Amino acid sequence: MASAPKTFDENFLSRLDAIIARYPRSRSAIMPMLHLVQAREGYVTAEGIEVIAQKLDLTTAEVNAVASFYTQYRRTPAGEYHVGVCTNTLCAIMGGDAIFSGLKDHLGIENNERTADGKVSLEHIECNAACDYAPVVMVNWEFFDNQTVESAKTLVDDLRAGKKPAPTRGPNSVPTFKEASEVLAGFNDGRANEGIQAGDPTLLGLKIAKGERK
Amino acid sequence: MTAVQPQTDLITLTIDGFEVTVPKGTLVIRAAEQLGIQIPRFCDHPLLSPVGACRQCLVDIEINGRAFPKPQASCTIPVENGMVVKTQLTSEVAHKAQEGVMEFLLVNHPLDCPVCDKGGECPLQNQAMTSGRGESRFEGKKRTFEKPINISSQVLLDRERCILCARCTRFSKEIAGDPFIDMGERGALQQVAIYEKDPFDSYFSGNTVQICPVGALTGSAYRFRSRPFDLVSTPSVCEHCASGCSLRTDVRRNKTLRRLAGNDPEVNEEWNCDKGRWAFQYTMVKDRIATPLIRENGVLREASWPEAIAVAANGLQGKKAGVLVGGRATVEDSYAYAKFARATLGTNDIDFRSRPHSDEERDFLAAHVVGSKVRYSDIDTADHVVLVGFEPEEESPIVFLRIRKQVRKRALSVTAISPWQTRGFKKLQAKYIGVAPGAEGNALAQLSLTNQSVIVVGERLCESAGGLSAVAELARKSGAKIAWVPRRAGERGALEAGAIGNLLPGGRPISDAAARVDVAAAWSIESDSIPTSAGSDSKAIFAAAARGEIKALVIGGVDPFDMHAPDFAGLESAFVLSLELRPSAITERADVVLPVAAVTEKSGSFMSWEGRTRSFEQAVPETPHQSDLYILSLIAEALGKPLGFSTVRGAAKEFGTLANWDGARASFTSHPVANAAQGVTLASWRQLLDNGSLQVNEPNLAGTARKAVARINAQLAAKLGVANGDLVTISTDHGALSLNVELSDLVDDVVWLPRNAVASQSLRMLGVLNGAQVNIRKGL
Ligand code: SF4
Ligand code: SF4
Ligand code: FES
Ligand code: FES
Repeated sequence: MASAPKTFDENFLSRLDAIIARYPRSRSAIMPMLHLVQAREGYVTAEGIEVIAQKLDLTTAEVNAVASFYTQYRRTPAGEYHVGVCTNTLCAIMGGDAIFSGLKDHLGIENNERTADGKVSLEHIECNAACDYAPVVMVNWEFFDNQTVESAKTLVDDLRAGKKPAPTRGPNSVPTFKEASEVLAGFNDGRANEGIQAGDPTLLGLKIAKGERK
Repeated sequence: MTAVQPQTDLITLTIDGFEVTVPKGTLVIRAAEQLGIQIPRFCDHPLLSPVGACRQCLVDIEINGRAFPKPQASCTIPVENGMVVKTQLTSEVAHKAQEGVMEFLLVNHPLDCPVCDKGGECPLQNQAMTSGRGESRFEGKKRTFEKPINISSQVLLDRERCILCARCTRFSKEIAGDPFIDMGERGALQQVAIYEKDPFDSYFSGNTVQICPVGALTGSAYRFRSRPFDLVSTPSVCEHCASGCSLRTDVRRNKTLRRLAGNDPEVNEEWNCDKGRWAFQYTMVKDRIATPLIRENGVLREASWPEAIAVAANGLQGKKAGVLVGGRATVEDSYAYAKFARATLGTNDIDFRSRPHSDEERDFLAAHVVGSKVRYSDIDTADHVVLVGFEPEEESPIVFLRIRKQVRKRALSVTAISPWQTRGFKKLQAKYIGVAPGAEGNALAQLSLTNQSVIVVGERLCESAGGLSAVAELARKSGAKIAWVPRRAGERGALEAGAIGNLLPGGRPISDAAARVDVAAAWSIESDSIPTSAGSDSKAIFAAAARGEIKALVIGGVDPFDMHAPDFAGLESAFVLSLELRPSAITERADVVLPVAAVTEKSGSFMSWEGRTRSFEQAVPETPHQSDLYILSLIAEALGKPLGFSTVRGAAKEFGTLANWDGARASFTSHPVANAAQGVTLASWRQLLDNGSLQVNEPNLAGTARKAVARINAQLAAKLGVANGDLVTISTDHGALSLNVELSDLVDDVVWLPRNAVASQSLRMLGVLNGAQVNIRKGL
């Protein structure tokens, strides 16, 4: 049923196989495989859906059902830096809405669009469980905490200029969309221990409970 | 059926104040049905696994005094002892919850009822009336989509009508094994979706249209054609294959507008295939033969019935004749042909097999098939099902669904002996034994089965000499049951009716004097007037006519190109009487052509492959056409040897008295498995949707047929130097055809071709059968 996918190189195909080999039931591999397609293509391409269907013995409709559900899977090319602005309740009232509209104006693009240079794409996202640092902006799923409209504009300008700003928490420099997708596909980039893991506001309650803070 | 029912634990619960006891595992919604309490529902379907997608079936449930905090979906909760269920009938909470769900469902549902095909038979419409609020409080904008979209050439989807119950997607995945549709864009824009490039080309797609509880899925052919309340429905039986589906034919002003699957739990459950559902225009085509035709000075001219009957009788009078029945006749018509041949024409030269056939097959049918009662339920209880010479999804779709059901339910083991591991076999998780065509018998000899096993044999196994003998031997050794599945709906009935040279009605061997006496008595003829030796088969009848030994042919619904290298010479010299719906290769050569009624225009019965009688009534009220048996009765009358009946009922009644024979069955002598041909050999069979004459004028249906390709494996491709998609030419002394290659899981040195695709009619174009050597080369 699946149409013949365009030929992917052997290396890529063997990495898909490596993902499949991780699971007792092959169809569990579908999500990391989709991430690996994004790591290579920058988004989930038709060929990517077709090769996954073929490898997992699923229909293309079934793979498409998964790919079209999760917003992390992009069906149009993402920017090298995919910027997500949290516009859920807490972030929204703390300035997330303003940041989002500020970035749209600043970049001249709408939600889910990409700048002409291909550097930045923009999306409003749901709560990232970082409410303690609201408002939050994510770049390729790395945290930039406590943002303002101005800091966010600077951030995207830096990204477009090719500087690699450091996230507030996480690795020492922000990965590209493809690099981040590769990590999500389960291929370790060795940077898991870089940077701050749990910041102060996150641990505040714990510390109070333990009597370390008042 | 065994008398001992398996022990089941029973559960007693109370629903709306009434106690009911049901087997453990029963869902609350089903238990309520036992009491006649109807809980509204959309996603629930008794043949699909529970999903709880629509929430319409909410009820209040309490177990041993402890109430669930919220109303529960009764379609997903199994009963428990001491459960107290209150439905909308006794619980205000349940009632209000159902109204609430309905209001939500209607939020995005368009007010399409006046233009929607489902209007008038729509569960949403009906249940909005019974379980909904009168007025909507929704003032926002409804979700809209481009409408409709074609998810295949025959199924249309109006997404805004969809209530996301997932019946269609569950059917496709669970029942058909074709998950070509799934829920896409889950979230606010959730919708049923195909993958853009891969349409919903499932052979069973029509069932989704039927079970969609709203008008979201519609059939292209029926869209905007009628309102349900303008249709007159007649329970019918499918004429397209031997699965024996019960159908419903819906007619408006004498025109068949649609057909639906009927509900017969023992046979097709509630399903059918798309051919049975969507191939019926053939009865209404313009070139239908409307009046009798007789040949005068070399050309056919219209004639009155009395004139044509007289010319027909005259042409047959006193001549040695042969009778070809075709595989699509009803039991009653076949019986009339069988009797007409013996009692009127005095010959045993009659055969219903207007397709490749063999003497081995004829003897096998007489010894092992006629009178047998292997049933679908034997598949349900089988320990092992062996498929040989048979691809069930292509050649008898309900047999496929039934096997698949057992594979899913209890991992029934299936073995497929075939030169090609098809997608259908994979869906059955069959153990595939790849054999070159012709060598099936050798593979059968290696199997060990039990008396709980079923060997499902396709009609085309007769093309492999020794194949049927190997089946008989395996069954003898193991006690396994033999299920012979012909393709055409009329074959099993014709066999039972005696429309074959070696059998009289009821499977009475022609060679058995007691059998002849029996039949002669029932027919009130001299018993020595029935010839004692087996008559010729179809091919031999043509050949005898060509040699001038047979001087008259009676041919009902036969396309000679369905046979292997038919000999047309006989048609030129003999007197030919043709009973037909539409012009065929016979018409061009016939001396008298008599139009006959199609199945919708008469009553009668077919026999499923099981030998189960499937009766149906006339669906189209007014028709100028008469059944074959009525026409034969007129001719017999004119010949002075009347049939003794002229109605379907009369024929059925008389056949009923002869249908069972308790004497000995014919004996069977084993044939050896033939040696394999050298070089590249041919494998070929018919696919469900093809160039079949009953599928004319159905462009939407044809759009979902499999592409015609030549299948070879990588080994042969390498030898030929061809890649996927390259053109190859397959040829024999008889002819050639060219198709693109699709690399497939075939055995070495075999090329598989569709037997009756528009571009690939292997019998007609190549003139050879399965296992024959063919030439294959790259390019044209
Ligand atoms: S199309 Fe029909 S059957 Fe399929 S999910 Fe929608 S409402 Fe249900
Ligand atoms: S499975 Fe056979 S009998 Fe049933 S609908 Fe299809 S063609 Fe007709
Ligand atoms: S609301 Fe923005 S991270 Fe939770
Ligand atoms: S019928 Fe029970 S949830 Fe749909």
